[in-house]
Amino acid sequence: MTTRRTFLKVLGTGAAAAMVGLPPLRSIADIGQANDGEFFLFIHAAGGWDVTLWADPRNEARGILHPASTENTDPSQVRLWRDAPLEGGAKTFELIRPPGSSLVLGPGAGGLVDIVDRITIVNGLAMNTVAHPDGATFSATGRHLQGGRVASPSVDTMISNELGKEQLFPTVSVRFPSAYVGDNLDRRVVPLTIGDVGSISRTLSRTQLYDANPERDRVTALLSLEAEDLARRSTYHDVADGMRLQYASLQRMLASNLGDVFSAEGLKTAHPELTYKTRFLGAAALDAAFAIEAMKRNVVRCVSFAAGNFDTHAGNYKTHAHAQQELFDLVTATLRSLDAIPHPTKAGAKLSEHTHILVVSEFCRTPQINLGNGRDHYPNNSALVISPRFKPNFVFGATDADQLLPRPVKRFIDGERAIAPPDLLATFVSAFGIDPRKYMRDGEIVPELLRAAAAA
Amino acid sequence: MRPSRGFLVASLFAASLSAGCAARLPEHVQAVSLPSPEVLGVTAEDSAPKADLRMIPPEAYMRTYLQLFGGLAPLDAQKLARGKEGAQLFDNWDAYVSALGFADYRTDIPRLTQTNALMVATFERLGVALCDRAVEHDLRAKPPMRERAIFAFDVLPAPGVMDEGAFGARFDVLHRTFLGYPRRLAPAARTTRFFQLYRDIVGMHRTADPKSRFTPEEAGWAAVCYGLVRHPEFHLY
Repeated sequence: MTTRRTFLKVLGTGAAAAMVGLPPLRSIADIGQANDGEFFLFIHAAGGWDVTLWADPRNEARGILHPASTENTDPSQVRLWRDAPLEGGAKTFELIRPPGSSLVLGPGAGGLVDIVDRITIVNGLAMNTVAHPDGATFSATGRHLQGGRVASPSVDTMISNELGKEQLFPTVSVRFPSAYVGDNLDRRVVPLTIGDVGSISRTLSRTQLYDANPERDRVTALLSLEAEDLARRSTYHDVADGMRLQYASLQRMLASNLGDVFSAEGLKTAHPELTYKTRFLGAAALDAAFAIEAMKRNVVRCVSFAAGNFDTHAGNYKTHAHAQQELFDLVTATLRSLDAIPHPTKAGAKLSEHTHILVVSEFCRTPQINLGNGRDHYPNNSALVISPRFKPNFVFGATDADQLLPRPVKRFIDGERAIAPPDLLATFVSAFGIDPRKYMRDGEIVPELLRAAAAA
Repeated sequence: MRPSRGFLVASLFAASLSAGCAARLPEHVQAVSLPSPEVLGVTAEDSAPKADLRMIPPEAYMRTYLQLFGGLAPLDAQKLARGKEGAQLFDNWDAYVSALGFADYRTDIPRLTQTNALMVATFERLGVALCDRAVEHDLRAKPPMRERAIFAFDVLPAPGVMDEGAFGARFDVLHRTFLGYPRRLAPAARTTRFFQLYRDIVGMHRTADPKSRFTPEEAGWAAVCYGLVRHPEFHLY
């Protein structure tokens, strides 16, 4: 017989279970409110970087590892390179141990050594791929390609969909593997994909020789109505509705008069602190300048861009460390710029306190030096996070000593295994109260990566 | 002399073959009419579309655009679009290919399959260049009708006398050019809407200061052209 006590116990247990089972612990409105004014920068080190030169440094010939040495690397341009002995008369590099930090870095880390107290490194990311498109997609979306097709939205799209729908430019993607795929996505957050940031100003430029802006606006207003009609007549109205929203965004973009600000010359003038005449990453410096300027003006939520070409299979490996140094110098300089700029909406806050940077690549390079004196593709990886919501001065994950392959790092729900890109991306979006399961099939939040307050 | 075994086998095979051929003719079944089968139930055919609208691939857009420009090669179209005004109307294709959604095989960026706001801005920039040059070529220079690229009609000589009927006949030419079907098959409000646009632009242009290079009527037709070359039906299928 069911007593009153038993009934209440069952009822209480059920209610508790229901509370625990609710995936979004905070409502959507709360997520937007709590993260209003956060900005995101995603960088893809294109080509596959050599992690043994920065995040997971190796300077011993051990197992199948051939460390970078004066036989395959030109150290003259790498300012952190200090010779260390290596068998056979060649010189390798000394490991860099920044003072006050437990991190150990390689000479390609460049400016990162000056900001170790703000960076989080993830090593031993299991990639399970050595193909460029697949690696880039896996790093940006957390899913492998399916027969050449992207299966999930990229991290910038996920973030914009939650936090950037109202921004003028939700996501600007410059050669980044951004993807707008899947359900639950707003058409306004389709990444604005461009080849270079200068093309924004060229695309938005309008002559007044033949007609005036109000006249073209009138045409755009008519097209909004036509798109609305089309949506009404369509069985599936999502795409036509999306176009209507995009016409509205276009009107806002043209009214903002940002064309001149986002021209290449305008950006260089606004941010002389960045170095545009570098050997490998001059174009990426312009992308970074755009990111800073767009965040400063509060017109963007995410900026994503690709930097460099780290695909060094042959003699071009000689300059790989130099290219890495330029990349991390650029990341550091960007952060310094953000330090100096007040937040556009949060009084008394610096922009850097609300900007979150994720740097990924498609995979790393082989531990062996090949016959062409370069390195090929290898299914291990590292990533860099600079975010006030991540644990700073911290490295998570590891690779084995002899083969540079990812090592199991903790017990996930599917057993003990290495961390993988879906875990990192799930952790990243969860740091902003976003339920990763809304967008991602795989991946588990890794609370160890997050600051205690954010994790809670 | 006794016949060989091979001869016997061959004879046997030939005999059985001729026996087969000599069999009776195949039967023919006469066709007869039968009553229609009894209708047990009716299920309506579901002819509704099973997928959302799709964006035409950027390659198709580019090919169509060049065709509308008179079937020119990309660099020739660029030269014509730029004219003597430099980058006022058109920069260069390099500035647009990525925003239009072309794949970038150097960096493994796939072809875009969704429109976005910057792509819509690029459609406007390119559409304006096409229409403005077409107004100059077709309406201002007035070549023979068969040499006209877009405006295969004449603007009425007296300004301000265009009624919806006269507009509709001309609009139909443009509608067929850009959207591929006559305007009478389009939603009823479309012609009225575009006529209103034409009238608004003519009116705005008449009072505009500074004056543009177009007459009010030319500006009106240019705007109608913008509206069709940027129309959702032009980009989606």
